[in-house]
Amino acid sequence: MNKLSGLVVMILVMAMMLAACGGTEAPPATQPPQEATAEPEATAAEPAAEERLLRVTFSWPLYADPAVGSDYASSTALLNVYDTLVMPVAGGGTEPWLAESWDISDDGLAYTFHLQKGVKFHDGSELLASDVVYTYNRLQAIGEGYAYLISGITSVEASDDYTVVFQLEQPSGLFVPSLARLYILNEEMVRANTVAEGAYGAEGDYGKTWLLTNDAGSGPYKIIEFPLEEYCLLEKFDEYWAADKFLPNAPTQVKFIGTTEAATVRAMMSGGELEISDQWQTVEAYQALDKIEGVDIRTFLSMTGFYYMLNTRVAPTDDIHCRKAMAYAFDYEAAVALEWPGTPVMDGPVPAELGGHDPNVMTYSRDLDKAREEMAQCQYADDLASYPVEVHWISEVPAEEKFALLFQANMAEIGMTVSVVQTPWLSVVEEMAAQETSPHVVTVYVSAALPEAGLMIKDRYHSSTANTWQQNEWLLDAELDAAIEDALATADQAERFAKYADLEAQIMELCPSLFLYDQLEQHAVVSYVDWDPTEQSPLMGYAFWLPAIGVNAP
Amino acid sequence: MRYVIFIARRIFQSIFVLLGLSILIFVISRVMPGDPARVALGSRAPQWVVDNLREQMHLNDTLPVQYFYWLRDALQGDFGLSLFTRRAVADDIREFLPASLELVFFSGAIAGIAGIGLGALSARFKGSWVDNAVRILSYFGIVTPSFVFGIIFLLTFGLALEWLPPIGRLSQGVPKPPVVTSLITIDALLAGQLGTFWDALKHMLMPAMALAMGSLAQEARITRSSMSDNLAKDYIAAARSLGIPERSIMTRFLLKPSLIPVVSVFALDFAAGLSNAFLVEMIFNWPGLSRYGMNAMLRKDLNAIAAVILILGVTFTIANIVVDLVVGALDPRIRLSAARSE
Repeated sequence: MNKLSGLVVMILVMAMMLAACGGTEAPPATQPPQEATAEPEATAAEPAAEERLLRVTFSWPLYADPAVGSDYASSTALLNVYDTLVMPVAGGGTEPWLAESWDISDDGLAYTFHLQKGVKFHDGSELLASDVVYTYNRLQAIGEGYAYLISGITSVEASDDYTVVFQLEQPSGLFVPSLARLYILNEEMVRANTVAEGAYGAEGDYGKTWLLTNDAGSGPYKIIEFPLEEYCLLEKFDEYWAADKFLPNAPTQVKFIGTTEAATVRAMMSGGELEISDQWQTVEAYQALDKIEGVDIRTFLSMTGFYYMLNTRVAPTDDIHCRKAMAYAFDYEAAVALEWPGTPVMDGPVPAELGGHDPNVMTYSRDLDKAREEMAQCQYADDLASYPVEVHWISEVPAEEKFALLFQANMAEIGMTVSVVQTPWLSVVEEMAAQETSPHVVTVYVSAALPEAGLMIKDRYHSSTANTWQQNEWLLDAELDAAIEDALATADQAERFAKYADLEAQIMELCPSLFLYDQLEQHAVVSYVDWDPTEQSPLMGYAFWLPAIGVNAP
Repeated sequence: MRYVIFIARRIFQSIFVLLGLSILIFVISRVMPGDPARVALGSRAPQWVVDNLREQMHLNDTLPVQYFYWLRDALQGDFGLSLFTRRAVADDIREFLPASLELVFFSGAIAGIAGIGLGALSARFKGSWVDNAVRILSYFGIVTPSFVFGIIFLLTFGLALEWLPPIGRLSQGVPKPPVVTSLITIDALLAGQLGTFWDALKHMLMPAMALAMGSLAQEARITRSSMSDNLAKDYIAAARSLGIPERSIMTRFLLKPSLIPVVSVFALDFAAGLSNAFLVEMIFNWPGLSRYGMNAMLRKDLNAIAAVILILGVTFTIANIVVDLVVGALDPRIRLSAARSE
């Protein structure tokens, strides 16, 4: 009897554990969802012979809410599931998209957009100007995602069903390009799935819970399955208003898979379970993937530059001659040789893919004679040993260590003592938040939020970013700030780009950073996928504009 | 009745242990560098958004006040919002815990059956090449981390031989069974979906094997050692002298008392498997609690960290209670001495 009791108790305990785990459905919204894009138990039909499946790995998490997501995976999903007023194009610039045209007032403060008629959301309802207004207000109320990019707007109004008027605080040359990140939501659908109790007062949770795993878009693809930790499955939207943009062999289903583990990606690609890899593999991993039959490595320039940010407020990097000495002493060619073949040395202070990049700006290249000449003029030249330099590299990016070691070796040639310090990202961000704690050198990859050189310059060198991870230089230069603001306020593109060229020259003369290289984005791609990312805008995620990708039979 | 009192007493004692654990992890997670609100929202989010989130999460309050809010909500099943997944932590736990449990149950079964079997074999043929082979494999299994096994299996069975699927819980297009326990294999069997069951099993095999290797090796060694000790005892000699067949001696007289130390280790390995599985879950893109917890720690997702640690604490507590019950069932001396002490 005792044995039996013990056994019964044990079984009960195990049963309790199992019962506690039952149920995986997300909590129901207080209003029943309408047109939910998928139930978790719904079967994603296996693509039939005429259907085409494209699978891509990404670094997770992926936020499918246009007011929340702004990382690579999220941006890629958003631009395919939603539409924007303008579409960024290759070579910089934008073209009309949902907005077929727009007018700008003489003072540059009022923009009137005229919308395409007959654009359908995934639920069949029509996209109207009120949806644009709702989307903008929602984005600003939540304040996350790309809200920082679409700012400086005093009001947004729908003057009729197909006309939206934006009023700006001041003229801005970046306003229209920034609209490439305003993903238009179906207001009615979001409201129907909004939880009444939330952080946004009368708007409740603003539909954030529902939009975690569903979409309210009009884009060429719609979300049909989204188990958060695993993958996001999209299906082609056959009633897309710009259906002529689809390649005949565009994928009918697309699966974004949340893994970047090298062995996993390799196994999947080799087993025919993956068409395009993520861009976060190591050089060695890409070399291994390249050896798989039918797999090539495709590369294209990104809007990301790799910078050595020199603190201009602490000795010895506060001396311009010391900084120039470092710039001339560094071996840029050796640095890019550590990267994927074809990686270009940075040509100026901003990546070459950005609109307004000046290819003729002066650059620094390795020249030990010039380095020593500059060092001789540095006020610390006679006592360099008393001013050791620390270079902090980000421990979450192990590849950065080899560049730091190269830097250490190069600086030793001009008598500078460098210590290499591995620092977690969160610690680096904290260090850079105050002038007193900012190290001499921090090595960071910085991406431009828009394909505009001026925005990158602002993010990197304007005083407003001095206490953020984007700037370790602490330039705090009021004249430079004014010049940056003036350039960004210039609506005319040619004029604006000319001002960018001046700014680039100024920055190179100041030498606040070492400009190592423009990052190549590389992906392992199977041969039966037709994909040319250079045909799309370099704006993050647009390389994966799915209608322009073709999938043939394996 | 004695068991009920015993369990009730252990649960009561565990409450204080879990309380202490929650305080410890609460404090540690909040002294780690980095502003969790800023980390969650990204470096470009405006300060007012960060301030709002800090306010929402009571991050501007003192630690004791923060702990009070957290405890109050946790006792009602509300562990707050995950900064990583952006939804209620309770929903995350409900979704990810079953995947980990299924993996750990399966790996535990492999480790238990194979480990005890190999250990018994090794003890039976002590000193022979069988014994030596098992011992060498055991050492190898103990010193090799589970993620190394994971990569080896992935590259062998997933890449080179292409026998098993490399990621996830189910293949594309395979119908998911109706949710009963959230363990796909069990639910598929209950629904009679044998195809789904088989597909889920194939997906689980590599990660479960990777996770099981360490425990399997450990249990093989302990079983061997325990059985070897008991083999030298008088009652075994007496059993042999009475002419009882060797097989009966091994199974009826030797195995049961030898399992006592194995059961203790097995239960703790099971509980540890839940927390140690994160690398295996990452390699196989297994949507489990361990990976979720690791991501929570890397991103300073405070609410998720606290909840996951609590879940693991509860698991260890339950494992210890189960061990005590099973050991009591196996060894009458323990039951009797417990009865006398009451």
